[in-house]
Amino acid sequence: MINYYYDGSFEGLLTAIYEAYYRRESPNIFPEQKNMQLQMLATNVKIETSEEKASKVYEAIHKKISYNALKNTYHAYLSEIKGISQDIFKYLKFGFKIGEKVDLYLSDEKVLPVHKAAKSVQRERHLILGILRFKSLHDDLYYASYEPHHNVTALLISHFSKRLSNQNWIIHDVKRNIAAVYDKSNCVITDLPGKIYRQPIAKADEYENLFKEFFNSVCIKERINPKLQKQFLPKRYWKHLIEK
Amino acid sequence: MELQEKLKILSSAAKYDVSCSSSGSNRKNTKGGIGNGASCGICHSWADDGRCISLLKILLTNYCIYDCSYCVNRISNDVPRASFTPNEVANLTINFYKRNYIEGLFLSSSIIKSPSYTMELLYESVRLLREEYRFNGYIHIKAIPGADLRIIEATGILVDRMSVNIELPSNNSLKLLAPQKEKESILKPMGFITSKIIEKKDERKIIKRAPGFVPAGQSTQMIVGASPENDLSIIRLSEKLYQHYKLKRVYYSAYVPVNSSSPNLPAINNPPLLREHRLYQADWLLRFYGFSAGELLDEKTPNFDIKLDPKANWALNNINLFPVEINKADYEMLLRVPGIGVRSAYKILKARKVKSLNYDDLKKMGIVLKRAKFFITCKGKYNGGLDINDKLIRYALTDNVKTYDANPKWEQISLFPTIDKMPTVNDNFMSITGEI
Repeated sequence: MINYYYDGSFEGLLTAIYEAYYRRESPNIFPEQKNMQLQMLATNVKIETSEEKASKVYEAIHKKISYNALKNTYHAYLSEIKGISQDIFKYLKFGFKIGEKVDLYLSDEKVLPVHKAAKSVQRERHLILGILRFKSLHDDLYYASYEPHHNVTALLISHFSKRLSNQNWIIHDVKRNIAAVYDKSNCVITDLPGKIYRQPIAKADEYENLFKEFFNSVCIKERINPKLQKQFLPKRYWKHLIEK
Repeated sequence: MELQEKLKILSSAAKYDVSCSSSGSNRKNTKGGIGNGASCGICHSWADDGRCISLLKILLTNYCIYDCSYCVNRISNDVPRASFTPNEVANLTINFYKRNYIEGLFLSSSIIKSPSYTMELLYESVRLLREEYRFNGYIHIKAIPGADLRIIEATGILVDRMSVNIELPSNNSLKLLAPQKEKESILKPMGFITSKIIEKKDERKIIKRAPGFVPAGQSTQMIVGASPENDLSIIRLSEKLYQHYKLKRVYYSAYVPVNSSSPNLPAINNPPLLREHRLYQADWLLRFYGFSAGELLDEKTPNFDIKLDPKANWALNNINLFPVEINKADYEMLLRVPGIGVRSAYKILKARKVKSLNYDDLKKMGIVLKRAKFFITCKGKYNGGLDINDKLIRYALTDNVKTYDANPKWEQISLFPTIDKMPTVNDNFMSITGEI
């Protein structure tokens, strides 16, 4: 048995797939973690991430399978579900064999986990687009903290840089200690310690109270339905909502 | 009056308007402007009643010259009154939008002075937002029946969606409950907006930069349960609105008794929520599933079965069309299988291109088989577990607990024959499923 370990980045994953293909091996692919226990009886191979190899695989997925498969691969990778690297490997192997038809095998074990993970990421991204709450820090700086299940920060950038193109904003994933920072023209993803979001903000924001007022008064008391509310807006997201 | 107080009064006055969608417009942001339209629509929160909040839903004012018996804002009610200035509306919208609280603005109004005067105020508010504040987010505005059509046209160029509320499903009910409104005055602006949408669309085919007109279309709303109309007449009306007026949506609002004392209104304790739900289901069948109103209900059964959804009901009344073979049926027929919706139908069409599907494949693909299993075969195999008989299936669908055959053809022989207690039906059930 052969195990490949890559550094956890998307490029790393693609490099691992490249190596597996050219070494003619069928490994189990894992992202590297801190204090990881290596398997004793397996051959453990550390994969060095290579931009060049990764971009070759990237292009190949796009050309030989489809753009859609590339999207599924990336979104599934962002899901950070345990074992997804191996699922992606199987999916791509199958994809390289049969081409763009791979996305028609909706009930196939090689395809299903990747589709499921990608769907879950896309769904969470869409929800976050709505429920991200910006706080006004200074006159022109807006800060939003959130804790998503999947690593969707990178997928939010295009939406918010179009929509709020005229203000500076930070989207902070408190769980993963990363943030997207936008300065009216460019956006970068950078490390940002998760702790800082708890620090109190000096200025009270009157619009927060106004929105709370709106949130409460727009509800029809005769129709109260907490179950339905939680179905749409699971409780794990409530922490960062100002109206809750 | 404080802004907060005003917002409280004018948002709770607007809450009975159910329209909330923010889809259908993909207006682009301009340089230096704020906001854009997301054509799929985005919900930003969900209130305690489970309804989504995507737009800042407010009235411009709740001072009203009308006296409609079902309405909380009617002139004869003693409720706190307030008005926003167009500037306040624009300011609230922009600041909520910057914090990503909302997808845009839903602006309606009670009638002050005259319909035209009210419409002018609404126009001024959206003009301010679009032109001074350079707001490109979603705006839904009410067209006031009886207002000058020129103001409605000018407003339509600025907003994404417009709606005129039908309020009640028949002219008689309108006369009784909203004496100052009449069918004609409601349908006139509706027809006008429809014709303008078509006209401007054609214009844009020739001149690309011609201004759009209400790109997200037109909608309306009616109250269910305040007047005696049956479901058949309601969905027939909706069907006509979709066909002739090309509406995007008809909203139904279960009547909530907000005004206690009116002899013309029914006395009810709870709003008819389930009836509203059935109407929405039927509405979807009209719009996306190729059903017609006449197929769902007829004069003999003019109301929906509260226990069973309209599609399953239709399928059971037409049981001779079933079961359908999943691997062969065309899209239209797949859509008519209870439990299979647009998404599932597309999935099936896709997946069967490469593989002939069996029951487990459907399960894995995430197709809900709770209802569908009674109406389909996979590779000729039927997995419903019951005879294809409308009475049996109806029984199984409406009453989950007693789905099991009351007179089983088998019997579990007891391990301990000395115990004279006979196994109950429930025991038999457990012996099969293994669940305790």
